[in-house]
Amino acid sequence: MSLLQTTAINVFYEIANLARGQVTAHISPESWWENMQQGMVWDLDDFTVNQIGHPYQGNNYFNAGRANGLSFYESAALTAFGSATWEFFGETNHASLNDFINTTLGGITLGEVFHRVGWLIRDTGKTGKGRLWSEIGATAVDPITGINRFMSGDSSRVTEKPSDLVPASIGGVVSAGALWRGSQSSAFTGKGTPFIESDFYYGDTNVGRSRTPYDAFWLRMRFGGGSAVSEARLRGRLYGQPIGRGAVNFSVIQTYNYNTNDAYSTGSQAIDAGIGTTLDLSSRTKFWVLGWGGLTVLGAVDSLPLGVTEKPQEQEPKAGQGVSEGPRYYDYGPGSDFGGLARLTHDGRDIALFFYVGRQIYSLDGVRANHFLQQARVDLLFPLHGSIGIGTSGEYFDRRSYYQDPAHTIKTYRYPQLRAYLTWRHR
Amino acid sequence: MNRIGLCVVLACLSAAPVLAQDTPPPPTPPSKLWIVAGGASGTLRGHCQECGAEFPFRHGGAVVGNGGYRVNSRMDVGGDVFWMQWNKESGRIRATAINAVAQFRPWGSKGFFVKGGAGMAFVRNWVQTIGPNPDNQKALSVVFGGGWEFKPKGPLGLQLFAMQHVGALGDLQTANGPIPEVSANFWSLGAAIVIR
Repeated sequence: MSLLQTTAINVFYEIANLARGQVTAHISPESWWENMQQGMVWDLDDFTVNQIGHPYQGNNYFNAGRANGLSFYESAALTAFGSATWEFFGETNHASLNDFINTTLGGITLGEVFHRVGWLIRDTGKTGKGRLWSEIGATAVDPITGINRFMSGDSSRVTEKPSDLVPASIGGVVSAGALWRGSQSSAFTGKGTPFIESDFYYGDTNVGRSRTPYDAFWLRMRFGGGSAVSEARLRGRLYGQPIGRGAVNFSVIQTYNYNTNDAYSTGSQAIDAGIGTTLDLSSRTKFWVLGWGGLTVLGAVDSLPLGVTEKPQEQEPKAGQGVSEGPRYYDYGPGSDFGGLARLTHDGRDIALFFYVGRQIYSLDGVRANHFLQQARVDLLFPLHGSIGIGTSGEYFDRRSYYQDPAHTIKTYRYPQLRAYLTWRHR
Repeated sequence: MNRIGLCVVLACLSAAPVLAQDTPPPPTPPSKLWIVAGGASGTLRGHCQECGAEFPFRHGGAVVGNGGYRVNSRMDVGGDVFWMQWNKESGRIRATAINAVAQFRPWGSKGFFVKGGAGMAFVRNWVQTIGPNPDNQKALSVVFGGGWEFKPKGPLGLQLFAMQHVGALGDLQTANGPIPEVSANFWSLGAAIVIR
């Protein structure tokens, strides 16, 4: 059933592309055979399509598995199946290596998070209108599970939630405010840009022995602040093991990253190993810290060839809608990453946050360069009344691109960012 | 021994094997090991993004191996090794791909499986090298495919598979200068023994 639904999802996307008038949707047995003969290539699609669109499509395949009772890892394999069949048979474009990786790994990460968030929204103990709206809300987040439940009648049945989809704890902060950016050469000029950001903590990656993937994850999303979606960061625990007497916890974490700012636009899929601990500074004050390092399976970073100072305006494709002809102004390659997150909390409320991530991407496709990207951020938060508080943060972006030209050119870009915001906390 | 005693001894002796047959043997816990070893016929085709060259299909023998952990009756995870050598007019090239893979059988009792993973590939090239020694290059590797496994529930089985390995090299170094953005697709059709 899950394989059939995965194929149905591909048919749905194909019909949607046909309806949108995409030239690449005119598939035929000839295009399938040509794609199979050609094999996989790098594609030239838009950054957002590749780094957000494909992972979202992959999340649908993944949840075709989860909705039909498959485990996390079984659904992961199903995602690879859906992704590969789409690449070869869903479009006339040649099958794309970067799409296959982004759809599969990004789809697994987004898929399991959406599936779990859907089960948080869904209130299976209720009946009537309240129940219906909770099912509709969950369907908006995880459409495949939702549609399956409406079709089978599970959406109105009163049952217990599956125990493995109930988190040990949840917490989060939503902040809204303004953001001021500096530039390579000047301090903070110009007016502030509005933004909304949410940090959501599902379970605790620093606690307990875990063999249930994504029983703990951290999700950060920022809308506005320079672009529609300026940051999306997901870190889901695949494996957790206390070390020694349990004071320190080892974890394996799968991550999805998307970040666009003035210094760089980057997106990546990575697997990290992390060490974390929580220190009780007093009965009410805790210091939570997690450090990690790992492999970036595939990363993308915007990049201009040497001698080009500005990205040219995109032209309407001559070959028709949906056909990307390039040039593409970002690079693809594997790499490594490392970083840390520290939280100082008082009565469960964040008082100070520190976040750092460094990422290296070795370009295999695009401009020949080795890119090193860093981001450091400090937040200070103050409670005002009840769940409401205020906060301020300072952030610093640094980018170095080491070009593999005869002159070994190194280009750097760095800029600071300041933020002031109101917060609303959920516990 | 009197007659009654003899009857009791005979009755006990004759009952013993019957009792042994009636008591089911303790169930053997299924092995967590997953091993696959076999061979394949491989076909390779190179591709570069912008060089405009038409790369021919090349053929050669390939060796495949998997080793890892049986998660449950439908799922195995572990490592995948794929080795292939092919000859050109001017020499030979060897490629080894090492990937982390997951294999999934949607129907536990049936043999159909799909497999996918990612890792690294190593290419050792004796053709058009810059110096007298072969060029060694590393590549990003991806694998996916499927097949059919006979006797999927037993400790020893046989599988027929069709796989595609993709190696993204970046620049291919040759004596005539680097060829940019080269990727190679390896298709393989083969058979392997499965041990669980």
